[in-house]
Amino acid sequence: MRTDVRRGAAATGRDQFPVGMRVLAVDDDPVCLKVLETLLRRCQYHVTATNQAVIALRMLRENRDMFDLVISDVHMPDMDGFKLLELVGLEMDLPVIMLSVNGETKTVMKGITHGACDYLLKPVRIEELRNIWQHVVRRKFSTRDSVNLDTYEECNKPPSADSDYVFGQVTCGSPDQSGRPSKKRKEYHSEEEDEDEDSSGQDNDDPSAPKRPRVVWSVELHRKFVAALNHLGIDKAVPKRILELMNVEKLTRENVASHLQASHLIYFLVVISRLVPCVFHTCRALSVLQPAARHSEITFAKYRLYLRRLSAVASQQAGIVAALGGRDPFLRMDAFEGLQGYQAFTSPAALSTFSAHGLLNSPRNNQTAVVIQGVATSRSIPTGSSSCTTNPLIGDAAKYHLSLPGNQHGNLGQGLATSLGQAQLQQKWMNEGSGDLSTILSGNSRANGMPRMLPSVTSSPLLPPDLVECTQAKVAIQPSVRAPSASVELLEGAIGASSGPLESRVSQQSALPSSGFSANMLPVHGSFSNNGASFSSNGATRLGDAFSASFRPTNDLTVARGTKVGAGSFGGTIHLSPDTEQKYVSFGSSDSLLDPKLVWSSSQLPSNIGAHYHSMSQRSNNCSIDSSHGGRMFGQTSASASTAAPQTKFDILFSGDTSMARNASESGAQRLQSELSSSTCSFDGLLNSMIKVEKDDAAFGGDDLGCDFYSLGACI
Amino acid sequence: MAVAALKVQLNALLSNMFATGMVDEQFQQLQSLEEGGTASGFVAEVATLFIEDADRIIADIAALLDQPVVDFDKVDAHVHQLKGSSSSVGAQKVKLACMHFRQFYEAKSKEGCLMALALVRSEFCDVRNKFQTMMQLEQQIEACSPK
Repeated sequence: MRTDVRRGAAATGRDQFPVGMRVLAVDDDPVCLKVLETLLRRCQYHVTATNQAVIALRMLRENRDMFDLVISDVHMPDMDGFKLLELVGLEMDLPVIMLSVNGETKTVMKGITHGACDYLLKPVRIEELRNIWQHVVRRKFSTRDSVNLDTYEECNKPPSADSDYVFGQVTCGSPDQSGRPSKKRKEYHSEEEDEDEDSSGQDNDDPSAPKRPRVVWSVELHRKFVAALNHLGIDKAVPKRILELMNVEKLTRENVASHLQASHLIYFLVVISRLVPCVFHTCRALSVLQPAARHSEITFAKYRLYLRRLSAVASQQAGIVAALGGRDPFLRMDAFEGLQGYQAFTSPAALSTFSAHGLLNSPRNNQTAVVIQGVATSRSIPTGSSSCTTNPLIGDAAKYHLSLPGNQHGNLGQGLATSLGQAQLQQKWMNEGSGDLSTILSGNSRANGMPRMLPSVTSSPLLPPDLVECTQAKVAIQPSVRAPSASVELLEGAIGASSGPLESRVSQQSALPSSGFSANMLPVHGSFSNNGASFSSNGATRLGDAFSASFRPTNDLTVARGTKVGAGSFGGTIHLSPDTEQKYVSFGSSDSLLDPKLVWSSSQLPSNIGAHYHSMSQRSNNCSIDSSHGGRMFGQTSASASTAAPQTKFDILFSGDTSMARNASESGAQRLQSELSSSTCSFDGLLNSMIKVEKDDAAFGGDDLGCDFYSLGACI
Repeated sequence: MAVAALKVQLNALLSNMFATGMVDEQFQQLQSLEEGGTASGFVAEVATLFIEDADRIIADIAALLDQPVVDFDKVDAHVHQLKGSSSSVGAQKVKLACMHFRQFYEAKSKEGCLMALALVRSEFCDVRNKFQTMMQLEQQIEACSPK
């Protein structure tokens, strides 16, 4: 076949996008190619045309950055368009538009599943071509570092990669770091692909057809894999059964096994990689704050040790993975994971903790006392759940000051208000807090706090009716009229906050959180009433079913809460054993907020608090916290899910510090503003626990919560 | 004067092609591209490409159908290509004939295919003649006008 490569004139300036967009057109049909090329030129793109897919592939490989977009015919003699599409998807992060005269649904679907960003029918019209630049922009915006749908993974594919959640952002760095690695996933050259190039003319549509022992885990295949996994459940997912369920030809049990293993490994790595920075950050923050309590210092030390260990392991594993796959495992994982919550999780964790500090510590010593008092007073309230309110304190230092020690309620109310303004409140927090607050807070405090809240509330179109209703119901208990509105606003704010961090994927994620949110609200309230061990998992994460938290329920109070922020979902489990003024946070880290002495969970908490939650669809997340060690986090939520566990944990720890500099609290607040804070949940939990402590009988936390969350997770 | 007459003739030819449904709006689009841009002779180029290509494809299909055992998958591929090519140039009737062809190779009916091929060929000959006439007229106009 004659080769025919026509290159367009030099690219025009890139500033006037889409003019000069570099398009590679591939079509074996000279007529179509000529027309296509001309049409593209007419659109002022910089066109390179070739009539052979093999040549196209070579050009793409040789000049990776020479093209912005590929338009390829489906039917080509030398290489099937889908094959080209797949290879391009694997090797470079380029949008590919398929072109065919065949508009059958099946064919179009095939194009989509292979990762085509568009599927045009011949004859192509210039109107369609004028618009294709959007794919380039879209790709750049939404998936800068994110995963390309078709990833070919021998061993690097994390199971959690759900196609819907592909737009994960990678944030491995410090919490503040909102930036994502701009590094694109590329340069994955394998001999295999080269072989494909050489063996032109073969029609290799089936990604699973292994001519070699290596198996290309195409998106489609991986989907099947995940589906099988979901079906079986993480515990029962053995390669053989997965293979059966997948029902893919030529796929061997070994392939599945290695994929499964790789998935686990990657998952673990991801968890670690996320966890480590957070922890470090937390430690730093703590040291800055100069935790008054010695205990806290000790715990920090422990954590550091632990972190060191973790990081060592992580690096080791990373090395292994790198050696195996020759790629950056973290990057990879991130991309695959598409952890939405990731960002939120990593960055907010430390921040959230800060905020927690502020709340707990109430910057001023006096105020701390006051807060505590306030809590105590709050207990008088029948509902008994007022913890949430305290959290807000962080937000506004000024307000905080304003609040008079004498007025415990007043303080609380203000705190709430401030928090609202920040809009960083977690959903859960919102729910509980709003409801509780309204009930708890006296009219005065509300008066102060409310105004603030109102302005802060921006727009929460997504508010689930359920939530509002719930809060209102709670409010109803309280005579105050304002309460309900406040709560609603709070909720709204929370929603907004959650959506914020997502940025690029706002649409998808934002919607999700809201739904989860509403669902969560109710359960949370219910939990408060219950005594005994309470476990809460976040709804957003799919952890739900598998999530089994083994907390030693002390007869005292155990408050478990799971807070989820829509995008960055937080799974917070607070395990409080309030009996002797000591509070334990689940996940092994226990802080006594009220107590002058910080007591760590190790002493009183059950030796092992392990929360294992598996997100069936995505991966198994294990949160096993060793109380003795202070805290251990193994689990991570799945991609879609948030890594709630770690955050919660951190938050709790911070809250544990009673001696928090006011500065710290302030800074925390600022940070919180910029980012979502998941700590609120923990805060709430703490406060509640405190309150509860004051109360003899009151017990918070209910198993119901967990269930509800699960359901939420499922819904999501 | 000659030029004007030629142009009239050309326009009549083109409008006739549209009127008979031989070409569709895709062809129109190609023309508009030519008019609006610097790519003069673009339509002629595409038409030439199409004629060559379609001619080859039709010959290939005929050869395939001439075999004792017809490989209908290959026929499918060829017809498909012809369809893509004709639709790109806007040769509507050829495209329709190709779509008509489809039912026969799907039914693996050799006779049906031969029939359909005859139709395709006849449509192609029609459009080829028109295209060739069109290009001749254009050349004549080109030759006359620049003075």
